[in-house]
Amino acid sequence: MPFARLLWLLVPIAGLAELGLFVVDAERAPRVSEWQAVRAEVAKLKGPADLLVVAPEWADPIARYAFGDALLPVADEARADVSSYARAIEVDALGKSSAELDGWAVREERAVGRFKLRVRENPKPERVLFSFLDNARPPFLTVTAGDSGDNERACVYTQHAQVSTGGLHGHLAFPRERYLCGGEEFFVGATILDDQEYRPRRCLWAEPRGLESVRLRFSNVPMGRKIYGYAGLSYFLFRDGAHEPTTITVHVAGQQIGSYEHHDERGWHHFEFDTERFAGQTADVEFDVASDDPRDRQLCFYADTR
Amino acid sequence: MKDSSARQLDRFDFLLAAGLSLTYLALLLATVKDLGYARDEGFYFQAARSYEAWFELLHTQFWSALRPAVVDRYWSVNHEHPALMKSLFALSHRYLWSGFQLFREQGTSYRFPGMAMSSLAVAATYVWSARETGRLAGVVSALALALMPRVFYHSHLACFDMPVTAMLLVTTYAFARSLDGGIGWALTTGVLYGLLLDTKHNSWLLPGAFVAHFVLTRGAHALRELLAKRWAFPNALLAMAVISPVAFYVGWPWIWHDTLPRLREYVAFHTGHEYYNMEFLGQTYWKPPMPRLYAWVMTLATVPAITLLLFGIGLVVSASARQRARSSAPLLWLLCLLMCYAPWWSDVTPIFGGTKHWMTAYPFLCLFAGQGFAFVAARIAELTPHKLWAMFAPPAVAAAVLIGPLCMTLHSEPWGLSFYAPLVGGAPGGASLGLNRTFWGYTTGAEQTFINAHAPPHASIYVHDTALQSWEMLRLDGRIRDDLRGTLNIAGSNLALYQHEPHMHRVEYETWVDYGHDAPADIGTFDGVPVVWLYSRN
Repeated sequence: MPFARLLWLLVPIAGLAELGLFVVDAERAPRVSEWQAVRAEVAKLKGPADLLVVAPEWADPIARYAFGDALLPVADEARADVSSYARAIEVDALGKSSAELDGWAVREERAVGRFKLRVRENPKPERVLFSFLDNARPPFLTVTAGDSGDNERACVYTQHAQVSTGGLHGHLAFPRERYLCGGEEFFVGATILDDQEYRPRRCLWAEPRGLESVRLRFSNVPMGRKIYGYAGLSYFLFRDGAHEPTTITVHVAGQQIGSYEHHDERGWHHFEFDTERFAGQTADVEFDVASDDPRDRQLCFYADTR
Repeated sequence: MKDSSARQLDRFDFLLAAGLSLTYLALLLATVKDLGYARDEGFYFQAARSYEAWFELLHTQFWSALRPAVVDRYWSVNHEHPALMKSLFALSHRYLWSGFQLFREQGTSYRFPGMAMSSLAVAATYVWSARETGRLAGVVSALALALMPRVFYHSHLACFDMPVTAMLLVTTYAFARSLDGGIGWALTTGVLYGLLLDTKHNSWLLPGAFVAHFVLTRGAHALRELLAKRWAFPNALLAMAVISPVAFYVGWPWIWHDTLPRLREYVAFHTGHEYYNMEFLGQTYWKPPMPRLYAWVMTLATVPAITLLLFGIGLVVSASARQRARSSAPLLWLLCLLMCYAPWWSDVTPIFGGTKHWMTAYPFLCLFAGQGFAFVAARIAELTPHKLWAMFAPPAVAAAVLIGPLCMTLHSEPWGLSFYAPLVGGAPGGASLGLNRTFWGYTTGAEQTFINAHAPPHASIYVHDTALQSWEMLRLDGRIRDDLRGTLNIAGSNLALYQHEPHMHRVEYETWVDYGHDAPADIGTFDGVPVVWLYSRN
């Protein structure tokens, strides 16, 4: 019998091989109970300032379910970036590694069940001196709206505003704790936006209304070499880039140190300003958010000194 | 070209077709209770209720029901789609649920016509494949179709995608039979095409495939006949031109008056359909240009590879000169298959519906797979002269090529839209590649047990992508507690669902801000991949 004729047997063998692959694939990813079982080990490794990262990223909701928000708090999940973390615990479920931690040294790796737990260190962690986002409340922050001068009015801080959520096509969540500048929707407060990869980014909503700007004044801010930040709008809502840009102008101790012009279609975008001359001092810092476009300039930004 | 070489089917073939069809229907009914209601089903439930009320009026006040204002009142609901299937949903609900009380759940009665049409597709695939290729090939073709996980999912639904797949197949079969002569199959083609038009707009391109088939197989002959002033065109095309529009018109009361403007509106709705978001290879597409590889890659990623392999072999076998001389049916299959994929050769065609929009191609793909199977099984049977080997080899090959699809399909339930084939690494591979994990909000069904057990009395549940009408059907069916209310407002909710699509993450983040944490209270996973999760305010 010619050997070539036997090759037809490969067809039914391929059918059975696909069945075998299917069984392997179906069992490949750890189950919820396995995630729950590894929690104690992860908790032992993770220090209070450590970042916990899951790979592959799509498994993150299972990790949040299994580990709870004590290990994966919103502040870490919706981080601006990883630059300020000195150490991360990486939970690798499928032989994957987090792209965000590229370049971070692996200090320790251990296998637990079907997971690999890695302790990774940032080669250049940047120490945050003051997070404007985390201190967006009295007495650090006062907010005003309107033109500077006679038309400027104070926005009122409350911890009991009506929470409002826009759903898929509506606005980002309006938080309970916010500065009200006229009505429920004109405010400054912390929320979470979706960036250009639809990932969460915690930020300070500061939407100029009409042609009225909003000004955020932080008092006695410990200054470092720079003000480091990101700005964006909900990418889902504004990815068309149909609006005029929004500008953040920054003053330190009454001196303008720069401005950043944000274009919607950029998504979550980095900015920074040199504050070398104020390093080691405390100073008042003002963010003035304005736009020539009166429509829906729902800017949200993160900033810190470092 | 007459397909005189086709097998004559006997009573056993028809029994086998009926057996396959009924078994599939029974399997669909047995697995429907775990499947939540898809977003579009909710809209069709609403339309079917309205149409049912009109049928009731027609029964009691015939002439009044026919008044244009009355017709509009009942048939304006969901008039962007024609009425055949929604009418069947309505009649099924009226007679099989309210009347004969055949079903315990209203939702199942609405879904039953879709299941029956899917079972018809399985039977028709068997009949055509058995006729062209042989009985065992017919079984392989029919089961290859039935055991595509995505097809199995869609076969459960009160939607149009499997019905249009079935109708397109039987219309094409009737057309093929009409080419053998006689008027019966031609008239049947005319009626069936009218019903196909009344099922879904996928029907619009089918005449193009028929005309192309005619030109390629009989064009020269037809030209000679025309020059001799003799009728040269297939009677079926004439029937489609005359009977089909009448059947289409009669079956859709919405177009009984203001016909042309309403037809224009119908066509405009689908030719100018808005773009939805769809994740593909890690990127969310939401405006043109859409990726031209989408349909092909998604076919590779979701259809069992063994079925695609048999299809490929069948295609090559069919292309041989001997096969082409024997029958023109494979050419018709190929043209129909290409017609079904044709819209996705354009980079402006929306891709919001995933695989369901070219599912009409799959019966033809499976007819080729039957040919591929028959060819391979015959070669393997010839390997040794032993009679027992020759007798048992083909069924053994059939079992070997069907066992994988069977296991995959049964395993995929109730996560049909999350299924990915081993070729891309299954569900985990699909997630890592950034292929859409779910859409349509049907996975709420996977959370119903948790919701019923943990929701406070009279709680509000944010339903996310589940249509409120679909949620209401879960409640009417007793699958969701009667005191629970579905809402589209996170801020007022006690529990919040999230069905994962990347662009919808923002809804999840709104929940984090409002609820003050990011830890789901429950999570639904398929093969270790998160698909739907639920947040609790407390």
